[in-house]
Amino acid sequence: MLTFVLRRLLGALPVLLAVSLFVFGFVRLLPGDPARLVAGADATEQEVASAREVLGLDRPIWEQYLRYAGATVRGDFGISSRTREPVFEVIAVRFWPTFWLTLAAMGWATLIGTAIGVWAGAKRGRWQDQAVMLAAIGGLSFPGFWLGLLLINLFSVHLGWLPTGGFDGWSSLIMPSFTLGLGVAAILARFTRSAFVDVSGEDFVRTARSKGLRERRVIWRHAVRNALIPVVTLTGLEFGTLLGGAIVVETVFAWPGLGRLLVDSIAFRDYPVIQALILLLSAEFVLINLVVDVLYGVLNPAIRLRS
Amino acid sequence: MPRSLPSSSRIRTAFRSVAVAALLGLASPVLAAGQITVGVGDNILGLDPTDLNDSVSLSASRLFFQGLYGFDRNLKLVPVLAERSEVNANSTEYTVHLRRDVKFHDGTPFDAAAVKLNYDRLRDPSNRLKRQSLLEALDRVEVVDAFTVRLILKAPSGVLLNYLAHTGASILSPKAIAQYGADISRHPVGTGPFVFASWTPDTLKASRNQQYWRQGLPRLDGVTIRSVPEGGARLALLRSGEAQFVFPLPPETVQIVERDERLAIDKTPSIVAQYVALNTTRKPFDDPRVRQALNYAIDKAAFIKVVYNGFGTPMDAPVAPGIAFYNKQGVWPYDPAKAKQLLAEAGYPNGFETEIWNFSNTLNNRASQFLQQQLAAVGVKVAVNPLEAGVATTRLWGAKTPEEAQVRMFFGSWAPSTGDADWALRPLLSSRSYPPALYNLAYFKDDAVDAALQKGLATADPAERKAAYDEVQKIVWEKAPWIFLSINTLVLGRDKRLVGLSQLPDTSVTYEEAELK
Repeated sequence: MLTFVLRRLLGALPVLLAVSLFVFGFVRLLPGDPARLVAGADATEQEVASAREVLGLDRPIWEQYLRYAGATVRGDFGISSRTREPVFEVIAVRFWPTFWLTLAAMGWATLIGTAIGVWAGAKRGRWQDQAVMLAAIGGLSFPGFWLGLLLINLFSVHLGWLPTGGFDGWSSLIMPSFTLGLGVAAILARFTRSAFVDVSGEDFVRTARSKGLRERRVIWRHAVRNALIPVVTLTGLEFGTLLGGAIVVETVFAWPGLGRLLVDSIAFRDYPVIQALILLLSAEFVLINLVVDVLYGVLNPAIRLRS
Repeated sequence: MPRSLPSSSRIRTAFRSVAVAALLGLASPVLAAGQITVGVGDNILGLDPTDLNDSVSLSASRLFFQGLYGFDRNLKLVPVLAERSEVNANSTEYTVHLRRDVKFHDGTPFDAAAVKLNYDRLRDPSNRLKRQSLLEALDRVEVVDAFTVRLILKAPSGVLLNYLAHTGASILSPKAIAQYGADISRHPVGTGPFVFASWTPDTLKASRNQQYWRQGLPRLDGVTIRSVPEGGARLALLRSGEAQFVFPLPPETVQIVERDERLAIDKTPSIVAQYVALNTTRKPFDDPRVRQALNYAIDKAAFIKVVYNGFGTPMDAPVAPGIAFYNKQGVWPYDPAKAKQLLAEAGYPNGFETEIWNFSNTLNNRASQFLQQQLAAVGVKVAVNPLEAGVATTRLWGAKTPEEAQVRMFFGSWAPSTGDADWALRPLLSSRSYPPALYNLAYFKDDAVDAALQKGLATADPAERKAAYDEVQKIVWEKAPWIFLSINTLVLGRDKRLVGLSQLPDTSVTYEEAELK
């Protein structure tokens, strides 16, 4: 398995290289002049020219590309044009808030999502099933900013239990992660339910029942474990998406994460930060896909890992 | 949910919150004495005032930095690190006498050498600082003695002190400049009332400067600035007691704050003009009658009410009343019949079709739609095209000549941060200020205006300057290169216990005299 993991990681390198080249060209296709954005609307021509020099945009495009490629290979992602900080630091300080938010949100999502998914699946066709699935559709269609503001008003303004936002201690994680997790929980619940229903009709479940096992054990040991494979795939994908930053939730809860950073950087045409963020996102997806593949093997030993 | 719960449930709530707080290890939002938290709408991007151009960062940098001059809350020029100054007869040499009792936060004494080093640093184009043009009038800076500097100009100027008063011309510690180099924007060391404590992505912390040169100030022990981009969340920050002051407050949330007995609203007339630039080089806006017609077609009072919930006053001159040399012309009356008549005289009895741009955001889009509706009533069909910030840079400044300009109507605003008529008029109305040089989006050209603007800039004599700017304002008002709309009121929400806070008309905030009662 170690060989498998190593090979997959090596195989990811060309992917990341291709992404880095692609994104270099892509950000420059966006309309807009970064130098003017940096200098401001009331800047003189001299100030705009200075900004262009500072950003290195006065150089020919091929030279800009060679510098970028050379620096990126050495792990140097350049300087943010918005804040003049090294891009690595800009991203590093916002990565961890996003990481913890994602982890907590996925915690809520898997807890709520799989539990009600399995429960609905076990009660399929009955009123509990329909009620829960209706709630799941509701959860899916709850706009995050609305739910977020509602929670803030209740728990911060009226009850004073939780801070309105920002990342300052674990209590500040509760509302944003719940808001973010609820939407994912709804997707997971629907997915788990159908996977569970599929598996429930399989021979090994019938066998387990006919062995006289208790229903609870049949569900959790036999059915759920096998139903989990597609759920794990979906969880991985959702995890990757959330790691890219959750723009709405981060905005409502003033969360210092990657989503707002990406949006602000695009609005500011902060080329170095956009490039590095997209590279980071690609790397995260490569890693998550790898973890998902490894988990398949853990859940079902019949799946062999071969490169 | 109602504010006042029945008493039993209030007690239960209190118990529960204590239990939950204990469980989560929460500190309840009780204030440390003299510490305040401020919620602002944008991120702070840096703390070197000479290299900043966004109002949130500039305002934050004022915690730490001061210049030789500054503005009081009425935007009157006042000496800060300077004691006084003299100017020679032809306005080419300013001699500035400095305060002798000032030290930077790092203990370095403030003196003439520090001023020279800072000014030479700012105006040297090879340092590529964003505020370099503030000092472009300077030819050289001379140290006369330890506490006197002489500023020698390339050409006569009457507005030099206003430029020195801009936050961008603040004085940094020479030692810190040498020590931190390019990293100076993360290490603010100035002479201001607060010293830097920490700065994480969304939170800036400053604490009291124990050695501050003004006796008994500042009164606060510390200030924390948090960026909270969402308006509703910013309101919640104030209502939950986590912040004692938030800005800006979305106009539609003002009533909620007013209803809360613990909170107060402060209103400050701004110097920010909201207007529509009409491209005077293009048909039909090349005809002054058409431009006048559009001014008649808009109900300014309704505009302010609908777009800004009433927080503003109609423009009655090309500059705001807070600007030096403002000269009241009277509001363009709302008269749609007159508008139609003028359009007919100009050859557009059935109106025409055109397009309006803005920098896309909620308020700008609302404003553009309001204008669209009112202009439709006089037969002018306007397509509203909000521009994303990056796209706007290409559309507005991409044109190298007036002929290439695509702009027809542009709704926007201008905040002349020197408080003087020159920077309120010249960048917007001089024929030398066509984009990409500056911001004359109306491509307005009038020889008398050009001459008067040059005259006003080149003299320090208040009477001559007044005459020049009177003339400019009169001509501009008649020729109407803009639809003159409103001067907005700045709305700030605060905890009633926080007093002495002052917001200047250019939106910057001073914490020096603030205190928590």
